[in-house]
Amino acid sequence: MIRALMMRLMGRKPPGGIDCHAVGKLLQQYLDGHVDGDQAQRIAAHLEDCRRCGMEAETYERIKTSLADRRHEVPAESIERLRDFAARLVRGEEPHQP
Amino acid sequence: MREPGTSDTAFERFVVPEIEILLRVAHSVTRNHAEAEDLVQDTLLRAYRGIATFDGQHPRAWLLTILRNTNINRNRRQRPELLRDPDRAADGLAAVASDERTDAAIDAELDAEIGNALDALDERFRSVVELVDIDGLTYAEAASVLGVPAGTVMSRLHRARTRIRDRLARTGLAPRSRM
Repeated sequence: MIRALMMRLMGRKPPGGIDCHAVGKLLQQYLDGHVDGDQAQRIAAHLEDCRRCGMEAETYERIKTSLADRRHEVPAESIERLRDFAARLVRGEEPHQP
Repeated sequence: MREPGTSDTAFERFVVPEIEILLRVAHSVTRNHAEAEDLVQDTLLRAYRGIATFDGQHPRAWLLTILRNTNINRNRRQRPELLRDPDRAADGLAAVASDERTDAAIDAELDAEIGNALDALDERFRSVVELVDIDGLTYAEAASVLGVPAGTVMSRLHRARTRIRDRLARTGLAPRSRM
């Protein structure tokens, strides 16, 4: 906020034509790929030029990567058993009531 | 969408390819391999019985809704003591090899701290992180599992990640400055 105010006072446009506060509000949606078009381009340009926002984006990216790496492999034998179960359902070999 | 009288084909086309994601989500929901498998089996059974009325649109969301309702019914029938322990220890975190390069050690520390932060989240925040960021569901798919609007999934997810980020900042693993 202070940085945006300083920039306005100095007559400078914020990087990408969008200020840090606005980027902060949209950052996670942007990183999730839910911001499109011009807005996404403005944010991308801002993140290129603004060190603080760029670091913030990197931190969230790192968190997302770390979380995605936690995806556990489901046991192959469980998948196989459930596929067999589905096949037996289709062949009418399983009762249809839980 | 579908020809009438093609239930078996529809089941094989729409349901069987989703078994793996159903199992992954079921594991996030139950935190137990055997229970997850039972839950998916019951879900398949209900899906098979309902396939004739399924319009063929958004099969994953349809199946996740069935899984959610099946799980609610199972929990009603089952023991309350099996509800998950919020204080469970972090599991699955890789041990840090002491002779790794500094970058790798910092990465491992960061991963461990993110794991701690995840475990410290309230259930309603942690569940959206698990479904979206770990299991890879869309906001809408996670909304089907949780029975809340997609907007709620998004706001909980953003708040959850912000809490993780703030915890990293407190331990010096992320910049302190906020925008």
